Amino acid sequence: MTRRSSICISTSRRSDARQTTGHRHLRWLLILVVFQLSLFSASAQGFLKFQRDSIPFFRGFAVSADLVGLAQMQLGDYGQYEAALRLNLHDQYFPIVELGLGRANHQDDEVTHISYKTSAPYFRVGADVNIAKNKHAKNRIYAGLRYGYTSYKVDIDREPFEDPYWKTMTTYNINDRQCSQHWAEILFGIEAELVGPLHLGWSVRYRNRLSNDDGGIGKTWYVPGYGTQDTSNLGFTFNVIVDI
Amino acid sequence: MKRLFYLFASLLLMTACSGIDCPIENAVFVNYAVMKSQGGEEVADTLKDTLWVWTRRADGDDTLLFNRGVNVRSFQLPASYQGAQDTLVFLTVDTLQSFLIDTVWLSKEDIPHFESVDCAARYFHRITSVRSTHQAIDTIIINNSQVTYDSSVKHLYIHFKKK
Repeated sequence: MTRRSSICISTSRRSDARQTTGHRHLRWLLILVVFQLSLFSASAQGFLKFQRDSIPFFRGFAVSADLVGLAQMQLGDYGQYEAALRLNLHDQYFPIVELGLGRANHQDDEVTHISYKTSAPYFRVGADVNIAKNKHAKNRIYAGLRYGYTSYKVDIDREPFEDPYWKTMTTYNINDRQCSQHWAEILFGIEAELVGPLHLGWSVRYRNRLSNDDGGIGKTWYVPGYGTQDTSNLGFTFNVIVDI
Repeated sequence: MKRLFYLFASLLLMTACSGIDCPIENAVFVNYAVMKSQGGEEVADTLKDTLWVWTRRADGDDTLLFNRGVNVRSFQLPASYQGAQDTLVFLTVDTLQSFLIDTVWLSKEDIPHFESVDCAARYFHRITSVRSTHQAIDTIIINNSQVTYDSSVKHLYIHFKKK
């Protein structure tokens, strides 16, 4: 277990742990504006325009699994098992449901000696849009939006420690605390056909909380499907996709 | 494709920052404000005597929590992480070196507070009652019962007797 270090372009250590809602919403708004501008720009070039041709509107389903969450789960102390079911509408629009099980089991942090445990399902719903010029090409470039939700319980413990003034031994246990979170994601991704119905794809996602209930304990750390709250809001997926 | 690259790059730039979000202001203290009543209003006052505050530790020894405060208008005292009631001993010494000792009993609920696995375990408190002896202290009033990281909140108004 190693303490995470981070490199960033500009450090934004806040004077208070709670990011102000205004600041968060402003950043979210900025991202949306950039996203919208890029889509409008793309639209002007006809990327979003419904391509009229002889290809049928309904093109089938695809199922996929995310390997990044799986690798996180195997290599680290948190991660998620995630699968998705996606509709293919004219190779252009892809409504999608993503279901997963997020888990964290961070035991006895080497600095703070805090243990954090949670395990809960989550879901995301949304849609991707193929923004490539040739909609029916084997490879796709897409942008998408997601809404995510999870309801989860956390167990947070620390081995007994001494009160610095009173010198009494203190316990620190938060058990089965019910929490929940709604969030939104903007994503950009690429997908390539490997062989036959098998595709590989990756996506980069910007996530932002819409609302949350942290169970009255301050903040939670790992949120199933969302990730940890003390790192970047950026997430990645690497998907194995099978067309049905 | 160039446009997509710029979009991707701008997203990365805006979201590249990551870090440990432990609050810089991470001490939890009970803030006392020295006050007096004036025409039914609470107004700030200054304690002319010198003030010390002790408590008794679990090992039976005394420990000094506040040392030699002169012209005190406000002061901060820690609260025990898990004690239902803290017992504090206030010593005030005037300029003639005569002293008065008061005991203050602070009852509270202790609430474990969590920010991240990277941040130290802390307790917030909710003050439920406060009482004292009345040698130098006149009254102590709960102004705000929620004791958190916010050091700007005055939790208790303490009135000393006029000489």
